[in-house]
Amino acid sequence: MNLFTQSIYSGLTSGAVYALLAMGLVIAFRTTRVVNLAHGESYAVGGLSIALLQQAGVPMLLALVAGIVLGMVFLWGMDRVLLRPRASWPVPSLILITLGLAFLTRGVLLVAAGVDPLSFPRLVAGPPLRWAGGILPRQALVLIGVSIVAAIAVAVFLGRTRFGRQLRATAEHPDAAQLMGVNVNATRAVAFLLAGGLGALAAALLVPLVPVDFQTGLGMTLRGFIAAALAGMVPGAAVFCGFILGLFEAFVTSYGGALASDPVVFVVLIVAALWRSRSIRFEGRARA
Amino acid sequence: MKARARAITLLAALLGLASPWFGIPGWTLSVATVAAFTALALIGLNLVFGVLGMLAFGQAAFVALPGYVAGMLELLGAPTLAAMLAGVVVTVVVAAVVARIFVQLPGTYFAVGTLGFSFVIEGLARAFPEWTGGASGLVFASGRDIGPMAWYALATSALALGLLAWHFTVRTARDRRFRTVRHDELAAAVVGIDVARVKVGMFTLASGFCAVAGIGLAYYVGVLVPEGAGVNRSLEYVGTLLLGGAGSMLGPIVGAALVQWLFVVAGYGKQFELLLYGAAFLGAVLYARHGLVGLAAPLWRRAVSDRTGHGERADGFGRRAPELGDPALADARLQGLPAARGAAGGSGEALSVVDVSKNFGGVQALRSVSFSVRYGEIFALVGPNGAGKSTLFNVISGVEPPSAGQVLLDGERIDGLPIHRRAPRIGRAFQVARLVPGLSVLDNVVTRLDQIAPDMPEAARRGAALRQLRQFGLEGLAADDVAVLAAGQHKLIDLARAAVGSPRLVLLDEPAVGLTAAELDHLRRLLLELRDSGCAVVVVEHNIAFVSSVADRGVVLDGGALIAAGDFSSIIREPRVLEAYFGVLS
Repeated sequence: MNLFTQSIYSGLTSGAVYALLAMGLVIAFRTTRVVNLAHGESYAVGGLSIALLQQAGVPMLLALVAGIVLGMVFLWGMDRVLLRPRASWPVPSLILITLGLAFLTRGVLLVAAGVDPLSFPRLVAGPPLRWAGGILPRQALVLIGVSIVAAIAVAVFLGRTRFGRQLRATAEHPDAAQLMGVNVNATRAVAFLLAGGLGALAAALLVPLVPVDFQTGLGMTLRGFIAAALAGMVPGAAVFCGFILGLFEAFVTSYGGALASDPVVFVVLIVAALWRSRSIRFEGRARA
Repeated sequence: MKARARAITLLAALLGLASPWFGIPGWTLSVATVAAFTALALIGLNLVFGVLGMLAFGQAAFVALPGYVAGMLELLGAPTLAAMLAGVVVTVVVAAVVARIFVQLPGTYFAVGTLGFSFVIEGLARAFPEWTGGASGLVFASGRDIGPMAWYALATSALALGLLAWHFTVRTARDRRFRTVRHDELAAAVVGIDVARVKVGMFTLASGFCAVAGIGLAYYVGVLVPEGAGVNRSLEYVGTLLLGGAGSMLGPIVGAALVQWLFVVAGYGKQFELLLYGAAFLGAVLYARHGLVGLAAPLWRRAVSDRTGHGERADGFGRRAPELGDPALADARLQGLPAARGAAGGSGEALSVVDVSKNFGGVQALRSVSFSVRYGEIFALVGPNGAGKSTLFNVISGVEPPSAGQVLLDGERIDGLPIHRRAPRIGRAFQVARLVPGLSVLDNVVTRLDQIAPDMPEAARRGAALRQLRQFGLEGLAADDVAVLAAGQHKLIDLARAAVGSPRLVLLDEPAVGLTAAELDHLRRLLLELRDSGCAVVVVEHNIAFVSSVADRGVVLDGGALIAAGDFSSIIREPRVLEAYFGVLS
């Protein structure tokens, strides 16, 4: 086995997941100006509910759809019930709310699914592909493909449609957007449904390869955030940075050991944050 | 009276911890000991999270780190006490480094960064089992022999010292400084507060509390596992503090005691622990911003019947009505201010802007702008929207560095100085006043004096601020919380704050906007007084009628470039200026 090729394959696999997460995080951030620390919970909620439903004998396809819908409803519900009514609160308080929800969700998932990681069968059976000395499960190939297709679809959706413009207008100035006839509430709803759907979709595709447990969510949020931060909170760039982060992490894991990845990824966050910080001092208040 | 109320609450808190002898079921000596250490760590968290509003989501790392350092040193053969000390010192140093990196970043990055730090320390603890004991934990044997009573006494005395330290950290001038930083970092910098230094200092101090508590917990409990540094534990700390009451002195104790006791009494399985913490966390964020202490505070106030009433803050305990200073005391002292000398001498050139340009990406906001302002004059900066006036103000006050050119004050270059270092010589009022709600009018003004005259005693600073308010006709509002006042009053208070302490240069961004006719007259008089005191005043203003009535000279900006300069009443009649404002004339 060729370690280098294998690192590329596993990097692309996890990168695909980070790309999906980063994209959702950015879309929600751009409508609300809040970094949603419960974002990764859509991954955990989606993944664990698919696994539980499948164990309960629900047909696989139905379980997958239900899991993705649950992920969507989870984030949409968070916005509808917790964030939207408090839009006038200061941003740090809203971040705290999302963190509180993330925490509560971990607690609920622990009670519902237990401590042990869960998984479910792959969608695509068959022997793994072997190219250039590396092994890539067919499932991973699907994941990478779906992630790229989703990225393109979302980019087109944001760039070419009415909703995309409304979303950008809402991000810029919600009140002004509302006065211009943008239905801000609907925009937020779509953004969070999309974010939750992308998170749960990532889980639906990755969990057969990497089991999920009740605490997976925050780690996913952290990585999605790092990719999003590297990308300067731009959706298209977030996809690219998601893959970069995945590859970087895979190479560190291959050559430096699995336990080195957390600290090294953290260093990436610091570098990203410092690099991006020049333009964001005073949290957007620089125009005084 | 205030001191007595504080003493009573303190005593009540310590008595509460002493209650293993009160016969409350489940509240044993060991639970009380753990609760006391936890409360000490939470005081640290409270300093950054409750007082400065920094989203420190990784505090468990600083509780576990000293234990790991000490434990590993003991494995290497270090004596116990030296190892403990080293653990605390290493933790504080690490915290100082982490703070220095993250503190300059906006809140979100800080939040995720600290969360990530917690992940990292937990990850490292798992990664090197030969040093840290890995998942099964690092064992501390040497703490056992002093006995539970001694541990209990140690924990409660550490907590009492912690409360005392909290009390001295969060009061008077420092309290004002922290609130200003928390509410508005730019306003804080403009009044002269070194925001980054305040935050780094606080974060480092807070980690000291966590480190001492962490050493205590490690040796008392006898084993340290990676989860102790992890994200869940960090979030539990935040949740416990929120439940008790973030920002208040007693919040950490109430939270820690209640949570420790509940888990013992209720005997819940581990399974439900996370769920309950999460629910308490979210519930407190949504419905009780000041936690149980905040809910109890109104009852407490009624019980103590604090008749001074106003000036009470939302989190309740022990804040008296602002004490008004004595203007007479201030007079003599203010003469000693460095800035006062320049203003008193005032006739020469104050501010020189030399060839200043500013680009934002491809946009040229300022193109090689030059002018100078003398002492004892009001200098107007006018131009249509987007002309670059605000950018110019930002360059002069230090919010933005110029892309090219120089800014000089008294012939000395200031364009490299950070905002807070310019503050003693430059006062700035904003288009929308940036005051700190929850502080009185007087406190808002004193905050600037705290920074530029730190050697003056508190009473003298208050006196000077009161004199300033009297001069501005705001004396009657001195004790009012700025949150209850109107926008026009805010603007005058902001102006009073900008001009207090005799700055050489005062920058006013659209001071006339939103003022009534009477307030405009008042403002005019104030500006003329300010000018006559020898100060250089630069005004950005759209109300040409108003600015014509006060300004001596000025410049007109359009598209980032100077299109006219000189005597104000004549430049506003120049064709180029009329054209810039009204479009092409025949």
